[in-house]
Amino acid sequence: MFEFLFKYPANAFERGKIVLAGGWPVWLLVALMVGAGAAIAWLVYRRNKASLVEGPRQAAIWALQTALACLLLLMLWQPALSVSALKAQQNVVAVIVDDSKSMGQVEDGTPRRQKALDALNGGLLAQLREKFQVRLYKTGERLSRVEKLETLQSTDRATRLADSMKEVVAEAGSLPIGAVVLVSDGAENSGGIDLETINEIRRHQIPVHTIGVGRETMVRDVEISDAQVPARALQDSRLSAVVSFRQAGYQGQKGKLTLRENGKVLASQDVVFKKDGVQQTEAALFNAGTPGAKNLEISIDPLPGEENAQNNKVTRVFDVSDKKPRILYVEGEPRWEYKFIRRAMEDDKTVELVTLLRTTQNKFYRQGINGPKELEAGFPSTDEELFQYQAILMGTVEAAWFTPAQQELLNRFVDKRGGGLIFLAGRASFSDGGWWREPFIGLLPVTLPERKGTFHRDPANAELTNAGRDSLITRIEENPDRNMERWSKLPYIAGYQDIGVPKPGALSLAKLKSGGELLVTQNYGRGRVAAFAGAGTWRWQMLQPLEDRSHETFWQQFLRWSVTGTPTQVQASLSKTMLADESRVRFRAEARDKSYAAASDAVVVARVIGPGGAGSEVQMTPVPTESGVFEAEYNADAEGSYVVEIVAKRGEDELGRDVATFRREDGVAENFHTEQNRELLEKLAQQTGGTFRGAADASKLGNDISYSDAGITMRETKDLWNMPIVFLLVLALRGSEWMLRRKWGVI
Amino acid sequence: MRLKILIPAVAVALTLAVGVMYAQKEFRQYQGSEYDEFPLPPDYADKTEFVIGRLMYKSVSRGFRRYSSWTIDYPRADRHLAAGIRRLTRTNVRSVEQPVSLDDDDDVYNWPFLYAVEVGHWDLTDAQAARLRDYLLRGGFLMCDDFHGTDEWEGFMESMRRVFPDRPVVDIEASDPIFHTLYDLDDKYQVPGAQYLYTGRTFERDGYEARWRGVYDDKGRLMVALNHNMDLGDAWEWSDDPRYPEKWASLAYRIAVNYVVYALTH
Repeated sequence: MFEFLFKYPANAFERGKIVLAGGWPVWLLVALMVGAGAAIAWLVYRRNKASLVEGPRQAAIWALQTALACLLLLMLWQPALSVSALKAQQNVVAVIVDDSKSMGQVEDGTPRRQKALDALNGGLLAQLREKFQVRLYKTGERLSRVEKLETLQSTDRATRLADSMKEVVAEAGSLPIGAVVLVSDGAENSGGIDLETINEIRRHQIPVHTIGVGRETMVRDVEISDAQVPARALQDSRLSAVVSFRQAGYQGQKGKLTLRENGKVLASQDVVFKKDGVQQTEAALFNAGTPGAKNLEISIDPLPGEENAQNNKVTRVFDVSDKKPRILYVEGEPRWEYKFIRRAMEDDKTVELVTLLRTTQNKFYRQGINGPKELEAGFPSTDEELFQYQAILMGTVEAAWFTPAQQELLNRFVDKRGGGLIFLAGRASFSDGGWWREPFIGLLPVTLPERKGTFHRDPANAELTNAGRDSLITRIEENPDRNMERWSKLPYIAGYQDIGVPKPGALSLAKLKSGGELLVTQNYGRGRVAAFAGAGTWRWQMLQPLEDRSHETFWQQFLRWSVTGTPTQVQASLSKTMLADESRVRFRAEARDKSYAAASDAVVVARVIGPGGAGSEVQMTPVPTESGVFEAEYNADAEGSYVVEIVAKRGEDELGRDVATFRREDGVAENFHTEQNRELLEKLAQQTGGTFRGAADASKLGNDISYSDAGITMRETKDLWNMPIVFLLVLALRGSEWMLRRKWGVI
Repeated sequence: MRLKILIPAVAVALTLAVGVMYAQKEFRQYQGSEYDEFPLPPDYADKTEFVIGRLMYKSVSRGFRRYSSWTIDYPRADRHLAAGIRRLTRTNVRSVEQPVSLDDDDDVYNWPFLYAVEVGHWDLTDAQAARLRDYLLRGGFLMCDDFHGTDEWEGFMESMRRVFPDRPVVDIEASDPIFHTLYDLDDKYQVPGAQYLYTGRTFERDGYEARWRGVYDDKGRLMVALNHNMDLGDAWEWSDDPRYPEKWASLAYRIAVNYVVYALTH
C-alpha cells in the first residue's frame, strides 16, 4: 500500500532526503503560500457575506482552500527524493539461505527449506538477477558458497548467523556487496547476533534484508528450554535441578519430569502444563551421589502427537567433590543444642564438624579434630589457621570473648575467604552477646536490637516463609506444600531470641509463629551468613518418633548450605558446562594464597582429559583487570565428556588445584527453539537498514534492495509531484469542501 | 506396689500456661526417703538449659523398706550436684532436680539427662521399658548409681533386659571419652556411701569392687552409664559433712560432671 501511494518503497524514503528540484527560492514559496492564505481569507469573507456560511464554517472553507493552494504551490517547486541507489549490474547481492537442521522441519507437508526456495524462486531471485550479480551462500555452522540452491540438504547441526554475517561482510572488502538477503527461520543457537557483529555490518553500511520462514509458534510440542544444575556438589548432598520448559497443545495435561544418571532414575515427578507458550519452571530434588563427574539427563516424557520429541531432553554435567569441607563449631557452654547438632551431623558423611566447646572458664573440649594440635590454643588467631575451615557455626559465645584481631579475622573469613558463618541463638548470642557492635554490624543479616534480655527460654513454634518453602536449607519434605505444613507441625523449640529485622537484601526463610524472625540468610562479600534464632531444636529430635529425620535433615542441609560455594585456594569455572554443537569454551581460575590474597604471580595450568582419555595442557594467562584471575580458551574437538584440572603454583609451591567438568554434545542444538525467531530477523534487518519480509511477501523485496549506501551507488533524484497520494489529496480537499457546502445547503 | 511417696510436699507455683500447653511437667517435689521437707532455693523456678532429671520408678521390696527406692538421697544429693555442676562448668543448671516418671506420657523426652538410684530395686513394666528404650535411642542419657553386689545387679538387669533385650552391658574402657570430657579420670576408685562412717567398709553386700559399666548405641555412644558397687549419690549428699572423706566426694563430683558434660556432647 505504501509503495502504491508514495510510488517508492519506504526504505527509499528512510535512506533518502526530500529536495525541491524547481530551483526557485524557498522564501518565495513561503511568501506565496502566506499570500494565498490571505487572499483566500478575503475572498471567503466577501463572497459569503451574503450567503448562509459564516463563523466557523467560513474558517473551515478557508482552511480547505488554503491547504489546496499550498499543495499546488508546493508541487510547482518540484519536490523530489534524493536517494543513493545501487548501480545496475555493478553490484553484488549476497543471498544467504539457512541450511541448518531446523530448516528440514516439515510443516503442513512441506519442509522449511522448500518454503525458502519457493520464496526465492517466486520472482525475487529473477528480479535480483536483472539488476545485480547474485552470489548464493548457505549458512549453518559456517558460511559457504553454493552454485545452486537445490543442493541444500538442511543438515548443518547448528545455526551461527552472527559468524556468517561477519564472514559475508568481510567479503565486502574485495566485492561491491550492495545488500544481503538472508532467508532463515532465525533459529540461532550460538547466543544470538551480538552488538559487535551489528556494528561491523553498520560500518560497511550493508543493509541486511531478511525473509522469515517457518511457523512462529509451536503447535503440539513440549520443549525444555533450560535446566539449571549446580556445577559442583558435595558427596550425597541434596541438589535442586531447576527446569524451565514450555509447551503448546497440552494445556492442563500432565507430563512426567525425570532426572537420570546413566539410565538410573534419580528423581521423577508429575508436572501439570500451564498455558500454551508460557515458560514454566519446576524444581526437582535429587541426590548428588558418589564423587566424580556426572551427566544428568533431564527429560519430559514425549506426549501423544508431539511434533518434536527431540527437544524433550537436555543433559547437564556437574562435579561431585570427594573433598570433605570442615565446619568449625564454636560453643560457649555445654548445652543440648550442641549435642544434638553433633549427633545430626554424625550421619552426614559429606562434611566434617570440628567442635570447640568452652566447658569451663579456661577449658575447651574438642571433638572431630585431626590431631592434638588442632585448636589447641582455642579459637584460631591467624588467617592460615582459620581459613582451613569452610564455615563457622557460632554458638552462644560473647563477641567480647574474641580479641579485636579475631573479630576482624571472623569478618575476613566471610568477606575475603568466602566462608559461611551461622549464628545460633543463646544467652550469650546476638544482642545479649554484644554482637550488634562493629565489626559485625555489616556481617549479620539482621539489624539486632541494641539491648540485652533478647533471649527467652520459652517454647516457640516455627513456620516457613514463602522463600523458605522452596529453600534447600529448610526442605524436610520433598513437596513444597507438604514441607510448609510439616514445619508448622514440628514440636516446639525450647528457646528463642529476638534477632531484630532482616536487612535489605537478606532472605527470611522461617519465622516464629509468635512473631519474629527464626532464620535469615544473606550473602556478605564472597561468603554467606545466617542468623538462626532458635536455641532448642533438639526437641524436634526428642519429641518425635525415632524414625523421624526432620531434625537431622534440617541441620545437615543448613550446614551444607554454609559450605556450598566456599571457594578453595584455586577455584575453577567454565564459561559453559554444556557445549551443544559448539567447541569453544573458556576456562577461568581464581588463584589465592593461604591468606586468600590474590596470587597474581602464580603459574596456572589447565590439564584437560577429553573423551577416550586424550590429555592436553593449556597455559592460562592472567586477566589484567582482575588480580589473581587467569583465563584460557579451549577448543573441544570431539564429542563427549571433558575433565579439566587446574593447578596453580607459586614457584615450586603448589597453591592448590580444582576440577571442573564440561561436555560437548553434537546434533542437539537444532532440536530446540525451532519455531521461527521473527524477532531476531526483524531486529537484524532494522538495525542494519534492511527490511523484513515473510516468505509470502518475499518477491516485494526486489524493490527495497535497490536503495543502499554500500557497494557501487549513484544518487538518484526521483520526482514526487506525480505520487498518487498528491492527486488523492487534491481530490480529498476539493471533495471535502463540496460535501460541507452540500451539507450546509449553500451550493 | 503402693507409692507412698507420692504426696506432694510443695505445690509449686510455676503457673506457666506454656507448661501445660507444651506438656512439659512443672517442677514438683516429693517426700524423700530421708527428708520429709527440704527448703527450696530462691532460684528454683529459674528457666535453665540443664536440669537433673531424677527417674521415678516402682521398686520391688528386698526385705523391709518403708520408702520407695527412687527417692534415696533425694533431694539433697541432687541439689548439691546441681551446685557442683554450676561451679565446675559453664553449664546453665537449674538449682533443683526434676522428678521424671516414665508414665507421664511423653514428659520424659523433655529431660535428656536422667539420674536413677538404687536401680537394683527398680521394676519397670514393659511399657516403661519400651519408653525408656525409645528415650535413650532418641538421645537421652541415663546415669545409674547406688546399687551393690550380685543380687542388686540381677535386680537391675531384670528390668534392663526389658529395656534392651539384645544390647549388652559392658565395662567402660578407661580411654572412653566419658572419663575425659572435663577431667581425665584415669585414677578411679570405689566411692562408698555414708554407711562407711559407721561401718568403716567401702563396700556394701558383696560389691567389693567398683565397676564402671554401660550400654552403648550403634554409633558407640554411651546411653546408660552404671556406677555399680558405688554410691555417688551419698558422696554428693554428704560432701558438706566434715566426717565424709573429701577424696571420695571430689571423685564423685568429677565423675558426675564428666557424665553430664558427656551427655551434653555425645
